[in-house]
Amino acid sequence: MAASSVCALSLGTPYVPPHRLVGAVLDGDSTLAGIVVTELRVPRVVLALVAGACLGAAGLVLQEALRNPLAVPEMLGVSSGAALGVAAPLVLALSLPAAVQPLLAIGGAALGGGLTLLAAGLGRSPSAVLLTGAAVAAALQAALLVLMVMADQLDLQLIYRYLLGSLSARTWDDIAGLWPWLLVAVPALVLCAPVLSVMRLGDEDAEALGVRAQRARLAALAIAVVLIAPVTAVCGPVAWVGFLAPHLARWFNPSAGAVRWLPWSAAWGAAVVMVADVPARLALAPVETPAGAWTALLGVPAGIALMRSGGRGRAARRAPAGAAAVRKALHGPRTAVSAAAAGVPRSRAANDARRDPPGADGACLPPSRPTGTEDAQ
Amino acid sequence: MTRRFTALAALAVVCAGVELVAGRGMSPGVVWDVVNGGGDATERHIFFQLRLPRLLVSLGAGACLAVAGLVLQSALRNPLAGPEVTGVTPGAVLGAVTATALGLAGWDSPLAVVLAACTGGCAGAALLWLLAGRGRGDPAQTAVHGVLVSAVLGGLTAMVLLVEPGELGSVVQWLVGTTEGRVWQHWHLLWPWALVWGAAAWLLAGPLTLLRCGDDITLAAGLSARRARTLALLCAVALTAGAVAAVGALGFVGLLVPHLAVAVFGADLRVSLPGAALVGAVVVCGADAAAQVSSRLLAQGLDSGRLTLPVGALTACLGAALLLVVVRRTPSRTF
Repeated sequence: MAASSVCALSLGTPYVPPHRLVGAVLDGDSTLAGIVVTELRVPRVVLALVAGACLGAAGLVLQEALRNPLAVPEMLGVSSGAALGVAAPLVLALSLPAAVQPLLAIGGAALGGGLTLLAAGLGRSPSAVLLTGAAVAAALQAALLVLMVMADQLDLQLIYRYLLGSLSARTWDDIAGLWPWLLVAVPALVLCAPVLSVMRLGDEDAEALGVRAQRARLAALAIAVVLIAPVTAVCGPVAWVGFLAPHLARWFNPSAGAVRWLPWSAAWGAAVVMVADVPARLALAPVETPAGAWTALLGVPAGIALMRSGGRGRAARRAPAGAAAVRKALHGPRTAVSAAAAGVPRSRAANDARRDPPGADGACLPPSRPTGTEDAQ
Repeated sequence: MTRRFTALAALAVVCAGVELVAGRGMSPGVVWDVVNGGGDATERHIFFQLRLPRLLVSLGAGACLAVAGLVLQSALRNPLAGPEVTGVTPGAVLGAVTATALGLAGWDSPLAVVLAACTGGCAGAALLWLLAGRGRGDPAQTAVHGVLVSAVLGGLTAMVLLVEPGELGSVVQWLVGTTEGRVWQHWHLLWPWALVWGAAAWLLAGPLTLLRCGDDITLAAGLSARRARTLALLCAVALTAGAVAAVGALGFVGLLVPHLAVAVFGADLRVSLPGAALVGAVVVCGADAAAQVSSRLLAQGLDSGRLTLPVGALTACLGAALLLVVVRRTPSRTF
């Protein structure tokens, strides 16, 4: 991460060699390099770090709370909702004070996420939630496209760039708007982390430990919305960071629990956005490409690969079955991601490994463990 | 069954009538005059050069998408395998956008766009095929991978558009799907393509019905499941590509119309394939008429002429709502 921040600070036009960076920052306004670094590149790096951390943490919260490795902001309609909330006043040429913008984004994000959860039912199987989310996201996207059709050519490029998630030309003013939201979100994250590690045992076990599962899910969604919406308001929905970062965090310490994954996931998110921003600025040199396009292109295949290899590794490790695994999970949680949480490849592995009578061929629901699915039915 | 076909055909005629009357620039009375041979030159031009081809293109594209969706759903045994979530539509869009950006195709050479869209659609489907383990994966996994492949292809399209920002304005309309400004040239390209591949799909109805029952039964009946599935997928990709090249990425028609068609006509594909074509035509045509009426009302209400509602927005919103119903109604173990 340090290397990529140095790259982000020194590369570009004008090129500032790394050893002169400190000097350039210290004597701020006096040289051209100093102005470029302090006024343009440092805020950009800070924004990349903050945005990445927020998105990564939000992704982990959603994935753990819904017990679904595919529950990412993009798939739940949260990102599209937030984007719609920001883009609508832009297109309709309504002038709003800057303070209202994050509120609109939050409204949109809550609308999208709430709609998905409402439609999918809270405890349904992962792919049902996923597909419902894809439907809601597509509907919101269509609304956005309608707005874009109405916009004129100049606005259009701005909006399109924004919609992909771009970090270009953001200054300290933009970042200053983020602090109040972070002040709300970070304590909430710390408070909810222990609950998250209980949630992954399945609804019934969680209830037995004194957690109200449905309320906890709604709270998790609210936290995710508060994390994502302000970031989206400033730099657009940088795509798929919330998908990749938690998987990276899990891949590097598979035996840790949700509490320890949370900071790691935030750190990985920050690193991913920062790394993606460097090619975004340099690849097609005079033209800046948005960082979000790069994270989408590289993040999705990487995420799929991680998910698959992770699923296979766990299938081999999964010796104890059923309730024993749940009890063991309190100490070594990684083995006990319930199959419902684990998404398709993993649940298939579960069916193979347990030799329980499977529900149907290729069924996704774990046959033996009681989960929220029964409640939903 | 005949009665249902008749009812649907009547509905199609009604939708077509509304579509012809609904557009801007002419009042319904004038349209009636023109149909009866009256009207002045401008009105005749609007009717015969703009409205009629638009109507035909929307009917044809709807039929193509619906048949492609039903074929895909049967071949992959997956109630949620529409062209949108299997990477076919995003692939076709990517192909067409890339060809336009490279200058290989344009509005003056629609044939090249069709070819590029077809190549892109095939590439998208092949990518999914590779990723999901050559068709032996279970439906849910295929659907999940399809959504992810679509996301990647969408990202690529975005990249191409960023490199060629000049195309953006004309392409955005097309990303959402619209029948605005379709002329006879589009229709002349669409109908032979749709006819050939539609006939091929109908000839495949028997094998597809077997595929629907599962690979074991297909093999027991003496049919190579892999070959039949490949042919069916080729058919679906070609139909989707043709429709996408004509009207753009019309959302959710291919995903949801098959459900409607099966609900109306039953699971016998020899009947429900033509049925799906009819339902698709009715849905797209009706949505287009509704979009025209509502954009006319919006334009009157907001007093601005440039506000038009593309049909794709309407089908996407409707389709999303219907998809929620389908996901909720289907027993959860299927997904």
